Formats: sequence, structure tokens, C-alpha cells
Amino acid sequence: MTRRWILTLLAFAPAALAVEAFGQEALSDADTIVARANLAAYYAGDDGRSEVRMVISDSQGRQQRRQFTVLRRDVEEGGDQQFLVSFSQPSDVRGTVFLVDKHAEGDDDRWLYLPGLDLVKRISAGDKRTSFVGAHYFYEDVSGRSPNEDTHKFIEATETHYVLEHEPKDAGSVEFTSYITWIDKATFLPMKIEYTNETGKVFRRVEVLEVEEVDGNTTVTASRVSDLVGGGQTDMQFRHIQYDLGIPSEVFSERSLRTPPRDWLQRPTD
Amino acid sequence: MTVTDYSIQRPRTVYSVIALLVVVLGSFLTRTQIDTDPENMLPASQVDRLFHNEVKQRFALHDAIVVGMVNEEDPDGIFNPRSLTALHSLSRSILALEGVVAPDLMSLAQADNISQEGVGTLRFEWMMQEAPVTAQQAEEIREKVSRLPLLTDTLVSGDGKAAAIYVPIASKDLSYPLSLEIQLLTESLDSDDTFHITGLPVAEDTFGHDMFIQMGISAPLAGLMIFLLMLYFFRSVQLVTVPMLVAMATVIMSMGALTALGFSVHIMSSMIPIFLMPIAVVDSVHIMSEFADAYRPGDDARRVIRDVVEELFTPMLFTSVTSALGFLSLLLTPIPPVQVFGAFVAFGILVAFVLTITLIPAYVTRMSEASLAKLGTRNATVQNDGLLARLLQRVGRLSTTHGKLVIAIALLMAIVSAVGVTRIQINDNPVRWFKKNHPIRIADEVLNQHFAGTYDAFLVLTARNDKAVEEFQTAAEALLTGADATTRALLEDRLHPKTETVDSQDLDEYYGNLIAVLDDAQFEAEDPEQQDLLGRLMELAESAQSSARYFQRPESLRTIESLQQALGETGLVGKTNALPDIVKVVHRELRGGDPDDYRVPDTTPAVAQSLLQYQSSHRPQDLWHMVTPDFSSTAIWLQLKSGDNQDMTRVLEALDRELEDHPLPAGVELAWAGKSYINVVWQQSMVHGMLKSLLGAFLAVLVIMTLLFRSWKLGLLAMVPLSLTILGVYGAIGWIGKDYDMPIAVLSSLTLGLSVDFAIHFISRVRSLLGETGSFQAALEALFEEPARAIARNAIVIAIGFTPLFFAPLVPYITVGAFMAGIMAFSGLTTLVLLPAIVAWIGPWLFPNLDQETSK
Repeated sequence: MTRRWILTLLAFAPAALAVEAFGQEALSDADTIVARANLAAYYAGDDGRSEVRMVISDSQGRQQRRQFTVLRRDVEEGGDQQFLVSFSQPSDVRGTVFLVDKHAEGDDDRWLYLPGLDLVKRISAGDKRTSFVGAHYFYEDVSGRSPNEDTHKFIEATETHYVLEHEPKDAGSVEFTSYITWIDKATFLPMKIEYTNETGKVFRRVEVLEVEEVDGNTTVTASRVSDLVGGGQTDMQFRHIQYDLGIPSEVFSERSLRTPPRDWLQRPTD
Repeated sequence: MTVTDYSIQRPRTVYSVIALLVVVLGSFLTRTQIDTDPENMLPASQVDRLFHNEVKQRFALHDAIVVGMVNEEDPDGIFNPRSLTALHSLSRSILALEGVVAPDLMSLAQADNISQEGVGTLRFEWMMQEAPVTAQQAEEIREKVSRLPLLTDTLVSGDGKAAAIYVPIASKDLSYPLSLEIQLLTESLDSDDTFHITGLPVAEDTFGHDMFIQMGISAPLAGLMIFLLMLYFFRSVQLVTVPMLVAMATVIMSMGALTALGFSVHIMSSMIPIFLMPIAVVDSVHIMSEFADAYRPGDDARRVIRDVVEELFTPMLFTSVTSALGFLSLLLTPIPPVQVFGAFVAFGILVAFVLTITLIPAYVTRMSEASLAKLGTRNATVQNDGLLARLLQRVGRLSTTHGKLVIAIALLMAIVSAVGVTRIQINDNPVRWFKKNHPIRIADEVLNQHFAGTYDAFLVLTARNDKAVEEFQTAAEALLTGADATTRALLEDRLHPKTETVDSQDLDEYYGNLIAVLDDAQFEAEDPEQQDLLGRLMELAESAQSSARYFQRPESLRTIESLQQALGETGLVGKTNALPDIVKVVHRELRGGDPDDYRVPDTTPAVAQSLLQYQSSHRPQDLWHMVTPDFSSTAIWLQLKSGDNQDMTRVLEALDRELEDHPLPAGVELAWAGKSYINVVWQQSMVHGMLKSLLGAFLAVLVIMTLLFRSWKLGLLAMVPLSLTILGVYGAIGWIGKDYDMPIAVLSSLTLGLSVDFAIHFISRVRSLLGETGSFQAALEALFEEPARAIARNAIVIAIGFTPLFFAPLVPYITVGAFMAGIMAFSGLTTLVLLPAIVAWIGPWLFPNLDQETSK
């Protein structure tokens, strides 16, 4: 744990020094901040595992629950990644598995296994801004939106946050016209994101509710997406988080769909 | 001192008091609230209405404006780049309108598609994220749509010639302004397609708008008409002004009182002015008529008017009370707008009575000698030689000489009418409140021709199994006995939550919470035995949760399918959309797109996993329009081509028969919701209520007549014209084939109240004339002078007074106008023709005390 922390410090030493030297204004380049936020939010450690409890509430407060385990392996820091998502709750969807080969450039590869139909399907990416299993989160919120898809603008640096505005390069492919992120200056985790639609109204918010230090990585342990127009929200709780487990790349192969990698999915026993 | 005496002595005070009342009550009119929601035909606490609104909440349903786009020219229908571009751009523009529930807007441009992309690969995408540029792309969209049964005949017509956008709106009263905005949007499109805007909320709200205009046109027009007619009869502007003042003061006070008491103006109450206007004039006509006849130049006008009022006081009081009673009987109908209408017309009638006996004497007192002199001389000549006078004298002779024939004809008409009554079709349809050439009627016709129907109803199934929870709890407790203290302490509370009982709505959450706690506990537990026990508890909770999700089971989906099939076989339901349709499409595409796989899969996990895929779309919330998130309740959407209550009733009956043959599984309850259903409910309650009102009013009037004439025989005689009129009017409706709808139902009590007026005047005059002349023949001859003229004038004034309604653009107003004219003519005629015939025939039996009356 400490080893990783030191490594992180070393890796970002020049940047850290820059902050020291020039004070608050040191980081005002939007692209740099975005790149570091992308790393902080999606590339902590070389791999990781986390159990997610998701509570989807509609505008009337009616809830649906999901529970799944996510395994992640970075192929390249800030670049390609592999994900395996295996559902455990509700029991009727237990064993449903998503496998994602995320590519920094080009479309992701996605596979799906449905045990109830004993069926492996490849999913054509098409559009990453579809709901993730009925939640207010999109696929893209879970796996990360490529920084290359937007242009970034530095708005201001508050005492605690960098505030950035982002506009999509391909406006036709998304449902928003712009979004603003509040990035924690210390951790570079995006703490709040607000999406604005054509009418200039903020219609969607993603926010971090809790962070914890896990294996030296400041890690989000609770977050929420709110639908500010239709009402309703999805809460995600991340538990049993581990980093740098050395998950081999075979775990993220099509074979894992039908025969889940139990050793890696199993809850750690401390 | 009577109020009349007071009015004669202090005319200025009377003027001031009335003026003050008019100003105070009239000031409330600025706060008038319009209400056109047919739902309000039912009391807010009515059980079907409550359920309807609960269903809307439960399945997050909104009232929707339907925008239709039709292209009859292009061989590809709307599937050409230009039309689809227009549709795309229109959808986007509508989404941005304030008051539109954007996430739930249904349009080809907002629809999701699931399709095959090569072997073994699924593609989720927007059906039409960008408008197509080439004919080839447009054709591809057509092919995609044809694979999605949920869209076909709902968003795109089966023949490809029409597309629809369903625009859900946040509030019903936005539908008229929104429909205008959408209208503007369609006009600015670069397109040759025809656009139509309809949907029940638009129809209702537009009706409200037109109704408001109508109220401002029809009532004053009726007033003008009555004014002109009276001017013709009395030839004196001065004399005719006062009944008009009475009428206007009555209308303003009644509507003002209605608004002041916080009632909104519904379609029914919007007709109050039109009803009150002629009724208020009636008594004045009697007084003025009599006054004009009695006054001779040189007479003391004060004395003459006092005598006239005194003589007419009793019949006027009784006619007012009976008319008011007729309308008050509407309170027996459990439909709030009808009750409000009845109450305030009744109030208005009594106001009119009071105004008549105060304002008219006060006014006459203040007329100049010269005007009075003119009035006297002119009337004396006009009336005796008038066409009406001669006609009436002839009618009088005819009805007494050919009495038996008249009675025979009346009996025959009664029989024919009775047969007609049995043929009455009870039906209503808010869209038909517009004339045939109204844009909404046209839109309705065109869209229902292309699509499976624009009228909706929902068949809601709800599964309840309270025993299952108890069984689960018992089994869980049995397992818990083997648990250690910590586990037991942790779970006891969760198993029996403090909130009374676990009801079905929270059941899914109850199990969900329990499972989450068990999952955590299992992680914490170190003893393998405890771990195993927690595992078994977990299995128990999971299986209980899974079976509580009733409509996720394949067999439940098949139950829904068979109901859908039964509904389809009625031939009245254009299409049904339900949960199995979603499951089947996703299942087919997951399996590779083979049409054979368009079926409900065999296991609950297979259904659950198919639905999880459906939820991974752009519009996951669409699922909850068909099933609740806990899967305990589901809605089948019906698209009906007709908004006729009659057709909806047939669907209800067909489903009842189906359920008799194939009962639902135990624990599943079925109920209806949706506008089409609500309309049937209030209509049924109206029909029964009206029958009650009519019988109640009939008995009340009979009692009053018997009291008034101190003779049950004369009481019965007084009921003859109104009975025959009601029978005749409703017989005619039956024979013509006009639907018995809301305005027609309300007319029954009106008929009752107004027809009896003529009979009261007739009988009381006959009686006093008998006393004066001593013989039936002489009495009847005298009757056909002034008294008959007063009755005839009244009938004509009211009948003609309603004719401006013929030109209203709204059908209920035309109906009322036509039938009011008919009712007046019919009951006036019955009174003047049939009653003399009866009196001539059985007079001695009816008036056994002739000797006494003569001697009086």
C-alpha cells in the first residue's frame, strides 16, 4: 500500500512541484487537468476489483436493486482497459456477465452472457450513452468517456476544485450540449458533473458522495446520478475494493463469460 | 305590506338594492374558472376515478396530445427522406416545448431499436437519430419498424402512410395552448405532408376554449332574440326592456353566485345563462301581457299592476317552485357538474321570481303617463286581431269539437313514443361534441383510419398473495431458531418491520433489504455453520422475492397474452400493447432474430434477463409504463378506434365473458382505467341518476300540483302535458337514432319544470273561468282569448329564444337548442290542444265542485 503511494507521488512529482512553485494558478490548462482526472477516476492501480450495490429509485421513490462485481485491468495507463461485470443480485439475473474491451481509440468491444438463455452475444457498441441495466448511469459513466470526445475549457479554480466546461465534438451523438465538472484539486477526482441540454437547463447530475483511501488510491465509495427533469436517481455503493491484484488478461476472455473466474470474483477475506 | 306594495312605493330603493346585488355578485365573474375535464363528471372520491388516477401514477402515464402526419401522395408513404426529416425536426422542436414530458415523448425520432448486426452480434441504437438522406435509408427505417410490433400501428401506420407523435403533457390544461404551438411548428416545416392534432385532452381543452366563446355569444344572442320577439308582441321598447333587465340581472346574479361559491364553469354550467334567459322572461311576459290587456288610459297604473301581480302571484310562485324543483332534482344525479347546474338554475329561477314581483311593479310605477297611454290603446287593437289570436281561437274550437280524436291521436303518439324510448341508444363521445367539419373531428377520423386507434384504455392486473409473505416469515423463523444470538438480533427486526404489515407495494423492497442484510451478515460471519444458515435464509428470501415478482413469470405473461388475444377478437380493439410484447421482441433478437423466437421464454430468469437487456436502452423507463418495478402489477394498453362509450362498453362486456370462460389465476385481480373507461363509468352513473332525478321530480311536482289544486285529479291532469312531452321528446330521440348523451339526459328535468308551467296556468285559468261563466264550453272559449295567448307567447318566446344555439359550433349546444324549441312547441301544443279536449270530455269528473266554483 505504502509502496504504491510512493510510486504515485514519484510519478507525479514534477506536477506536484509545479503546484508548489506557482501556487493555485499553476494548473489552468484544461486538457492537462482532464487527463489527470481521467487517470484518477478510471485508472487507479494497474487493476482492481469492487463490489457494487446499486439502488435505482424512480421519481416516486420506488426502488430496484442490483448487485454486481467489477474486475478491471488496465492494458495501458490512460489507454485501453478490460472490464468484467458479473451480476449476483437480483437472483433472477445472477450469472449475467458483461465483458468490455475498452479502447481509447475506436469503438469498444462488448460481450454479454445470459445464463437464463445460455447465450453469449456480442454487442455492437453503437451508442455508449444508453442506460446501464436500467440505472440512471450510462455505460459511458461506468467505463469512462474518452477525453478526446470533448473539447475542454478551463473556467476557474476555486479553493478546492478546478471547474471545467466541456463540449462534445460530435453534438449529434450525445443528449447534452455541454457539461461542467468540479475536479478536486488534491485528488483530481471529478466530484460533480452537471449536464446542460439544448434549452440551457441542467438536467442531469453525477456526484461523488463519499471517498475513501484504499490501497493508497483515493477511491470513490459512494456516488449518485440524479435525473433533474424526470426525477429519480441511482445510488452506487462500492465495497470490498482492492487494487493491484495482478489479475491476468485471460480472466477477461470470452471463456470467462460462461465460466466466471470465481477466484477473482470472490469477496476478499482480508 | 307585500314586497310588491313596497316596490310600488319605493321604486328607487328596489332599483338600488338590485343594482348593488348585481354589481357585487357580478364582480365575481372575473374570477370564472373553466373546467372541461370529463373526469370531473365523477366526484373526486369516486372509486373508479381514484383508481384511474392511481394507475396513471403507478405506471407514470400522462395525458397525451396525438400529432398525426399523413402522406397519401408518395408511393413510400411517410418513408421518404423529406417526410422523415420533417417528422424528425418536428419531434425535436416539440421536445423543447415547455409543459411537454420530454422523456416520455413517443415518436419514430425518439424510439429505440434493437437489431442484428451480422451473426451473433446485437445492436442497440436510436431508430432514427439523424433524419435519413437517401430513399435507401428511409426504406431501412421502414424495415426496422416492421420488426417492432410495439411501434407498428402505434407510431407508424401499417400501410406506411402515416406517422404519429404522442406528446405527453405535464398538465391537462396545457393541451390547448400546446396544440396551438405544435400547430405553428407544423406550419413552419418544409413538408407536403398533412398534419393533424387530436387526442382526448386536446378535444376537451379546445372544447373549453370554444365553450367560453360560445357563452359570450349564445347567451347575449338568445337575449337579443327574446327581446325582438317580445317587441313584436308588445310593440313597446319601454315595456319590453324590463323583462330583459330581469333576465340579465338573474343571469349575472346566478353566475356570480356560482363563481363566488368557488365552483368552476363546466360544460353544463356554461349553459346556465342560456337556460335562465328565457325562463326568467316567462313570468314577466305573463305580467306584462296581463297588464297591457288590463290597463286603459286614465287608469291608475299602480293599482292595475298591483292587481295583476296579486292575481298571478300564486300561479307564478307555483310555476317557479315547480321549475326550480325540476332542476333541483338534478341533485339526485351523482355527477357534480350536473348537480351544480341544477342547483344554480333553480336558484336563478327563484331569483327571477323575486325580481319579477319587485322590479316590474317598480318599473311600471315610474313609467310616464304618455307611455302608459300608448301601451293601453295599442294593445287593445293589436291583440284582438292578431294572427296568433285568430289561430288560437280556431285551435280552441277544434280541440273541443274533435276532443275524442285529439285524445286518440295523443294516445297513439304516446304509444309510438314509448316504443321509441325503448330504442334509445345510450352513448357519448367527447370528440363528437365538435361538428363534423371541426379540425379535431377530421383529425380523429383520419388518424383512426390509419392507426389502430387513438383512444386509450388500460386493463390493469394486480397480483396479491398475502399468504406467501406469512409462509416466508414462518419458514425464516424456523431457520432462525438455529442461529446464534447476533444473527437473530440482526434479523428479527428485519423480518418483522415495525410498520404494521408488509403490503404488496413494499414487498419487493422488504425482500431486497433483507437480502442485502443477509449478504453482509454472511460476509461477517466466521462460523461455517452460521454461514451456511445465512445462505439458506438468503435462498429462501431470494425465492420469495422472485415469486412475488409475479408478472416476470412466463405463465403470468401467457395469461396476459391470452387476455390480449381475447381483446383483439372483439374487433373493437385496434391493438393492445403489453409486457409480453417487449419480452418477445427482446427474446427474438437475443436468439438471433428468427420469427419463431418471437415468444415468451420458458423460465423466469430468461424473462428477467431479457428485460435487463431492454432496460439497457435509451429509454429504460418505458418498461414501467407496462409493469411496476416490483412486477406485482401490469397494464395492458388498449388502442381503440372509437371513443364511443358504447364501444368501450362492448369491450368491457366481451372481457367479462372471456373471464367467465377463462377465469384469472387465483390472487390476480383485474380492473379498468383510462379515459375511455372513465367516460363509460360516469355515463352509466348519469343514466341511472337521471332516471332517479326524473322520478323524484315527477313525484314532487305531482304532490305540489295536488296541493295547489286541492285535487289529485287536477294534479294528475297537470302532469299530462309534461308526461306526454317527455315521452314524445325521448321517443323522438329513440326513433331518430340520436345518442342519449349528457345534454339530452339533462333536458328531461328541464322539460318537467317548464311543461308544467303551462298546465298550471291552464288549469288555474279554467277553474276561475268556470267560476265566472258556469259552463265548460264558455270557460274554454274564454280560455282561448288572453290566457291561451299568454301561454302561446311564452312557448314561442322560449322556443325561438333558443334558436341562436343552432349556429353554435359545438354539438351539445345545438342539441339543447333544438330540443328546447321542440319541448316548448310540444308542451305548449299539448296544453292548448289536449287539455281542452280532456276537460271537454271528462270535465264534470275533474271539476266535481262546479256548483261551488260557480257560486264563489
